[in-house]
Amino acid sequence: MAVRVEDAAPPQFDAAKERAKRQRSQVGLFNGLGQIALALWALMIIIPILWVFLAAFKNTTEIFSSPWTMPAELRWENFSRAWTKSRAGTYFLNSVIVVSFSTFGTMLFGSMAAYVLSRYEFRGRKFFYLLFVAGLAFPTFLAIVPLFFVVKSLGMLNTYHGLILVYIAYSLPFTVFFLSAFFRTLPTSVAEAGILDGCSHTSLFFRIMLPMAKPGLISVAIFNIIGQWAQYLLPLVLVGGAQDKWVLTQGIAQISVSAGYQADWSGLFAALTIAILPMIFVYAIFQRQIQSGLTAGAVK
Amino acid sequence: MRHRKYPFIAGFLVVPLTLYVVFVLYPYTRAFYISMTAWRGFDVAPKWIGFKNYERLWSNDDRFWQAVQHHGILLVTLPVITIVIALFFAFLLSVGGKSKSGDMAGVWGSKFYRVVFFLPQVLAVPIIAVLFQTVYRPNESGLINGVLMKLGFDPVFFMIKPHLALPSIIAVLVWVSVGFYVVLFTAGMGSIPQELYEAAELDGAGKFRLFFGVTLPLLRDTLQVAWVYLGIAAFDAFAIVNVLALSEGGPNGTTTVMAVEIFRAYGKNNFGYASALGVALFFMSITFAALTLRVTRREAIEY
Amino acid sequence: MPDLSYPLSRRALLARAAAAGLLVGPGAGILAACGKDDDPKPGASGSTPAAGSSSAAGSSSAAGSSSAAVSSSAATEAPAGGAGDNPFDVKEDAALDLVIFAGGYTDKYAKEVHEPLYKAKFAKAEIKHQATEEISTVVQPRFAAGDPPDFVNNSGAKSMDFGALVADNQLEDLTALWDAPSVDDPAKKVRDTVVPGTIDVGSFNGKPYVLYYVSTVFGLWYSGKLFKDNSWTPPTDWDSFIKVLDEMKAKKIIPYAYAGANAPYYQWNVILTHAAKIGGGDVLKNIDNLEDGAWTNDAVKQAATLWAEVGAKYMDKSHEGLKHTDVQLQQNQYKVGFYPSGDWLENEQKKDTPEGFEYQMIPVPAAAGGKMGAAGVRATAGEGYVVPAKAKNKAGGLEYMRQMLSKAGGEGFAKLIGSPTVVVGASDAVEFPPGVKSSQAALKAAGADVVNIFFDGWYKDLDTEARTATNDLMFGRIKADEFCSRIQKKADELKKDDAVVKFKR
Repeated sequence: MAVRVEDAAPPQFDAAKERAKRQRSQVGLFNGLGQIALALWALMIIIPILWVFLAAFKNTTEIFSSPWTMPAELRWENFSRAWTKSRAGTYFLNSVIVVSFSTFGTMLFGSMAAYVLSRYEFRGRKFFYLLFVAGLAFPTFLAIVPLFFVVKSLGMLNTYHGLILVYIAYSLPFTVFFLSAFFRTLPTSVAEAGILDGCSHTSLFFRIMLPMAKPGLISVAIFNIIGQWAQYLLPLVLVGGAQDKWVLTQGIAQISVSAGYQADWSGLFAALTIAILPMIFVYAIFQRQIQSGLTAGAVK
Repeated sequence: MRHRKYPFIAGFLVVPLTLYVVFVLYPYTRAFYISMTAWRGFDVAPKWIGFKNYERLWSNDDRFWQAVQHHGILLVTLPVITIVIALFFAFLLSVGGKSKSGDMAGVWGSKFYRVVFFLPQVLAVPIIAVLFQTVYRPNESGLINGVLMKLGFDPVFFMIKPHLALPSIIAVLVWVSVGFYVVLFTAGMGSIPQELYEAAELDGAGKFRLFFGVTLPLLRDTLQVAWVYLGIAAFDAFAIVNVLALSEGGPNGTTTVMAVEIFRAYGKNNFGYASALGVALFFMSITFAALTLRVTRREAIEY
Repeated sequence: MPDLSYPLSRRALLARAAAAGLLVGPGAGILAACGKDDDPKPGASGSTPAAGSSSAAGSSSAAGSSSAAVSSSAATEAPAGGAGDNPFDVKEDAALDLVIFAGGYTDKYAKEVHEPLYKAKFAKAEIKHQATEEISTVVQPRFAAGDPPDFVNNSGAKSMDFGALVADNQLEDLTALWDAPSVDDPAKKVRDTVVPGTIDVGSFNGKPYVLYYVSTVFGLWYSGKLFKDNSWTPPTDWDSFIKVLDEMKAKKIIPYAYAGANAPYYQWNVILTHAAKIGGGDVLKNIDNLEDGAWTNDAVKQAATLWAEVGAKYMDKSHEGLKHTDVQLQQNQYKVGFYPSGDWLENEQKKDTPEGFEYQMIPVPAAAGGKMGAAGVRATAGEGYVVPAKAKNKAGGLEYMRQMLSKAGGEGFAKLIGSPTVVVGASDAVEFPPGVKSSQAALKAAGADVVNIFFDGWYKDLDTEARTATNDLMFGRIKADEFCSRIQKKADELKKDDAVVKFKR
């Protein structure tokens, strides 16, 4: 116990009253400043995003004049251009497809590995565990070129399943690391009871341990979804050759490059809006789960 | 639970292990080999040149050393700034409010703030980078400079002035990260037993003493997690720098990071050299990881 | 010679331009050519340039001017699809896989001009067309995998390094193309239908690997309308240039601008062209050849000093953080006076150029008394095209190039894009827009005083150093002396570095 508050002697009654008063004004000031800081930070986040939404309706001249003017009219054609010509829609869908499968795969295989590595004794257990965890320190940049050739020789360049398998493989170190720690905290008594009841190892895992590990699973899953959704380098190299397979991050980067070449800034902001809005939407719906999921894990 | 244990273990490990070995371990080991060659990335056998790439990197590449220095700066500033801001907000949101009968409450609107602060986390990094291009634009069309110039101030050249460029990059990274750690810390604070606060309050502790005396020590573990995550982030920063900085880590290399240097080497078709840079980055991250493990191997506070 | 319509003078000029600038001296066929890659073209400079213009505007403006052109050249056109006219033995049903750089020229010219020509000949061939702003992102992996496209337009900020491609035998020798009978006149070889020097700029160690297609002239650009409205006369020497800058300043126009964020290359191009006007063409040749003291030469120093003054007095500091399209847009809004660029600029800005703007170009101004006439310009052929050595349909790639080099191919490009190609006679009948007209006139006026610069394409690191030093110079952080010595230091490093392949001209 670093904080030994309970050792403090009980205060005198009137002294306490005195203090409480002082405290109240202190609190008032603190809260006042705090409120301002909070509000400022919130504005710092909302304003740029809001500005992007507005810019999506402007034309190039408006965008490059003062940033604080409203668009003269609602130019919906910017969106149709971003959706069809810049293919923001396709990219978005690709991201959804790839990330759904890869997160599912990551969770399945990651939890399987983490489970046996954390709850079974066998020779080489420590070795395999460290092997996975070592991956946390590898910079993806280092592997990218040889990885390209691996994927190529498997005939999986420019395919969804190639990208999905690679996402899974690269998410394993963190997933295994995290879930191993989590599985270790689960009580052994339940598992033992399961075994006594005649559960096989496999059904013990799927029927008992996985449900027990739910908080941990949720937080890792969210971690992985966010991480894989934001992945840029891997798709750039692995599906770069087939534009119809590009994911959203890649597409946005591309749209921003071509906005530079074609001076189509409103199209870029429309595409950004298309990319941002659904994420905000999903986040708004699931924010409680996302936040509690993330923290359930990290605080453990 | 001995029956058929080994087949079960093997069965559970085989798929993840195969994926991991094929797509992760093998490419990494192969990269070490490529770093010893002068390979241009075409369909021809790489030419072995031993440690030449490393010699060059060590003694003849200013940009490499610039990048190393920047990672050093990032490793210190990113975690410190982010954690300080996030702690402040988290404290306000969870115990900043009025305390009625010792029941700690967050300030008004704390739920709203938590949602908003976290928002940057769900936007992908390339999107954020493009967003900040607009925020930092150097003339009246920039989000910040537009206001400054309206008010009659001179514009601030965020990405242009060599001494401002890296801080501007760090600011973006902080902008992105704070929300996550606010949520993390609020949860951490939420798990601190109310009685501790009550006792401290009874003792007449003000908000500041509450924070330094109660909250901070009990958040140790969470803080360590935060530091590790932010340290990992400090070794990346690629997408932000690549999109925001003038000319690949400019001006004059003042914003460059390892990943940008690696990318530049790819751009020059110098795959051997790029791999050598990658190996260097690998050793930097390993060192960081080892140090962190050592430092954090301390017992958690029990309550 | 079928193309009698071609004005002799112009051809002679182009030839001279080529001889002076594109061709190299003895010793030089060498790798000389890769110099171009990065450069001139729209979109090509390492960082940047060109932005495309809307294609709709492109075709409409071209359409107006072309009816005369069609009739004049029609007579000379040989039937393109004749049986037996298949010098590379293209398999008629083999798919043709193209990757086009969609920069300042967009990919419209390929779709609307060259691909139809190919298709007309090989109707059964499926054409796979891919356009991208980042060539290496798309193509590099395909080279690495041994599965390259049949034809690549290697240009833009993210173009692939020609030197590396050649060194690893990734490119097809184009000798067969140049020796093939031309589309329009089977009695003539393709090599005889292009502006002299074209083949050499694309040659490495004497072997042709790259087809450079578009003729490009560099200078300072301004709005004819802005000048007319203010009754300014286009400056012809340094003093009159400064005078106009002062007058612009008085009118609250930013007199001079370039985009520091991604196009400082445009500005070192100006400084070096100026240096050549002071000290002669050898100044640039020495720089390209990494001669000792090439950058610290007095001519370079003088030019840098003069331009640093322009930077200090006549530029806007915020431009260091802007991209080329932003600055170009400001010029279109009459907020910027002079802007250095190549003649792709006019087409690139078509969409944003207001009615009556009227692009005009002057050569980089210089004080009298230099070794080169005031009218001297930098000109080159740019926009590189290659056929990968491991392509599945190499013959198709070569044939596609041969079609590009036909009269119909060159003329179609010139009409659509508003820039002349290396195809002799293909653009005389094309009515160019005012800007390109003025740059062509400048080229003509330059006579033999035409220079070119190659080092940036040969040595990317030197280009990078020149760019950063240029920004430092123009935005007031360093003086001319340091500008010169800093880049010289980099050049010396490169010279000593065995790992870097050297080129000479």
